[in-house]
Amino acid sequence: MNRRMRSVIREGLLHVTRHPLRSSLTAFTSAIAIAVTVNVISLSFGMQEDIAGDVDLFGRHTLDVGVPPALAPGVKRPSLGEAQVERTRRLLTGLDPIVVPRRQRAAPIRVDGIDEPYRLQVVAAAPAYLRTLSIPVAHGRWLRADDAPGSPELEGTCCLDEASAVRLWPQRDPAEAVGARLEMRIDGVARTMRVVGVLSDPLRYRELFETFDEGRGARTLTSSLLSFRNIYVPAATFGPGDYTGISIVLPTDEAVLEAQERLIAVWADARDLAALSRGSLIVFVRKQWMEALGTSTMQGSMVGNLVWILVVLVAAVMISTLNLITVRERYDEVALRRCEGAQRRDIALQITVEGVTTALIGGIVGLPIGYVGAHVLREIVQFPFRFELRYAAVATGVAILLGLISSVIPARHAATLQPARVLGRRLR
Amino acid sequence: MTADANKAHPHDPFLVEGCADGAEALAVLDGVARTYRSGAVEVEALKPLDLCVRRGDFLAVMGPSGSGKSTLLHVLGCLDRPTAGRYLLDGHDVARLSDRELAAVRNAVIGFVFQRFHLLADESARRNVELPLLYAGVARGERRQRASEALDSVGLSARMTHRPNQRSGGEQQRVALARALVKRPRLLLADEPTGNLDSKAGERVLQLIEDQSRAGTTVLMITHDPEVAARAEQTLLMRDGGLSRA
Repeated sequence: MNRRMRSVIREGLLHVTRHPLRSSLTAFTSAIAIAVTVNVISLSFGMQEDIAGDVDLFGRHTLDVGVPPALAPGVKRPSLGEAQVERTRRLLTGLDPIVVPRRQRAAPIRVDGIDEPYRLQVVAAAPAYLRTLSIPVAHGRWLRADDAPGSPELEGTCCLDEASAVRLWPQRDPAEAVGARLEMRIDGVARTMRVVGVLSDPLRYRELFETFDEGRGARTLTSSLLSFRNIYVPAATFGPGDYTGISIVLPTDEAVLEAQERLIAVWADARDLAALSRGSLIVFVRKQWMEALGTSTMQGSMVGNLVWILVVLVAAVMISTLNLITVRERYDEVALRRCEGAQRRDIALQITVEGVTTALIGGIVGLPIGYVGAHVLREIVQFPFRFELRYAAVATGVAILLGLISSVIPARHAATLQPARVLGRRLR
Repeated sequence: MTADANKAHPHDPFLVEGCADGAEALAVLDGVARTYRSGAVEVEALKPLDLCVRRGDFLAVMGPSGSGKSTLLHVLGCLDRPTAGRYLLDGHDVARLSDRELAAVRNAVIGFVFQRFHLLADESARRNVELPLLYAGVARGERRQRASEALDSVGLSARMTHRPNQRSGGEQQRVALARALVKRPRLLLADEPTGNLDSKAGERVLQLIEDQSRAGTTVLMITHDPEVAARAEQTLLMRDGGLSRA
């Protein structure tokens, strides 16, 4: 960079400082754009990464064999009993699987202090069921093989998801649920269960999850399971009959793929909609569900990214207009500089430096505004939010780009001004 | 300039006098014309004209408004290109110079003084005077030094950091004159330099311009005022885009 260029850049910087009101207006527009950018990036990337982290807990190496959530009219419901559990074990020989059948149904739950019972999902399974989840026990302990299933005469044992504890005892710490008793009515039989443990809530943004989840209307057993607002009881709690599903845990990604291949050779892939009309059992790979969720959140992020790109473009148009007005007010100055030896590129460089500087100042101001705004949003709507230095770097780059884009037209306009025309008009 | 235009234009023996040998000529207009197009209408701001400005000349150009005086000044100042004819400045054919080269010529050869001063309102007197040096790539320290000297030469050594609006009209025009002189121009073009000044301030500016002329700078001054024109060595008249001897 030669001395002349340095001087021109300095002229641009000085101009920004000499016109604080004009520069502030431009910077303010930039600040809004950058704040939105930071906000959306933090929220969309935060949501994407956090939800991906959440669903990871749901079971990266877990498959389910189950009954289709809905069947075509006239199609017989497939059976899912001990024979299918055994068949599953045989099919997966050599893959070192943990196979846990479960029974699941909604049941009214009553606790002291509430009149109306809540309906929660009750999952009855062997203690190994915990292995199909990656959720730690937050308080108390998990179910054991010698835990009582409960009967009208004998108190049973159960574990809760943290969200269930919060729903049943909203005013109490979930840890206090351990030792508490609840009543549930299953198959028309009321029984008392003592809570021995509470699982951590894997959904960091539960309110957000439930907002979306409840909006769906039609819930499947699987989505209910995924809401992690369940009660877990010993396998023998429910009477004999078909299972709701079979959860299978495998040690590696490769084993999951191999297991999936073996199982869908017998039953249907859950992604195969035609399976509904055939009435076959379906094989559901949680990792694929997670990947589908990942795709959804990625699409959500893309929508978010489109939003901030749109905002930046609108800001670029606004700043460009402001800069163009500024240039029009500076015809005399531009003409004079051209008279005194400024080349077109000197004028263009100066206008660009002014535009980029004000946009960058706006960007620097917009960064903390966006950061605070995202925090506020997080508090209000429980939205996932993640702020990292790389997002600040992206926002700074966007601010520079904004300055460049918004300077192109004004700089070109100023550089192509004919000084003779300007001076001729003014002097006449 | 087209060959036809040259043939159609008879050279004025007076206006090209002294340029026969070319040795003393600083600026030579040879059949130069400037036409503007405004929609379907073509306006002939300068009719094909000849002019020789020798080194050290002090010329005044008079004429009514709209006669083409400013257009002539813009052409001479390389701010505008003729639509016909040839303009030689300091030996260079202006038509052949690129936009960048024209900017360099304006920076190195020509000094401008305008009726309305055209100072940068937000800059100090010294920064205004430094402006041409900035585009010449002169180092900051030297720029300040030379700007101070130029302001000193027009009697404004005090209050160099004051802005134009803190000065009288006469002082502002002297700042503008210092800006024109700081680059030591070979051709000083003044467009109504006293037009916005009272008689006392105008006289001061005229004296400074005369001083420059005496020091060897070539001056071409546009004015409406016969008394101001009388200070020049020669006066030319412009009327309807044509140039003639007063």
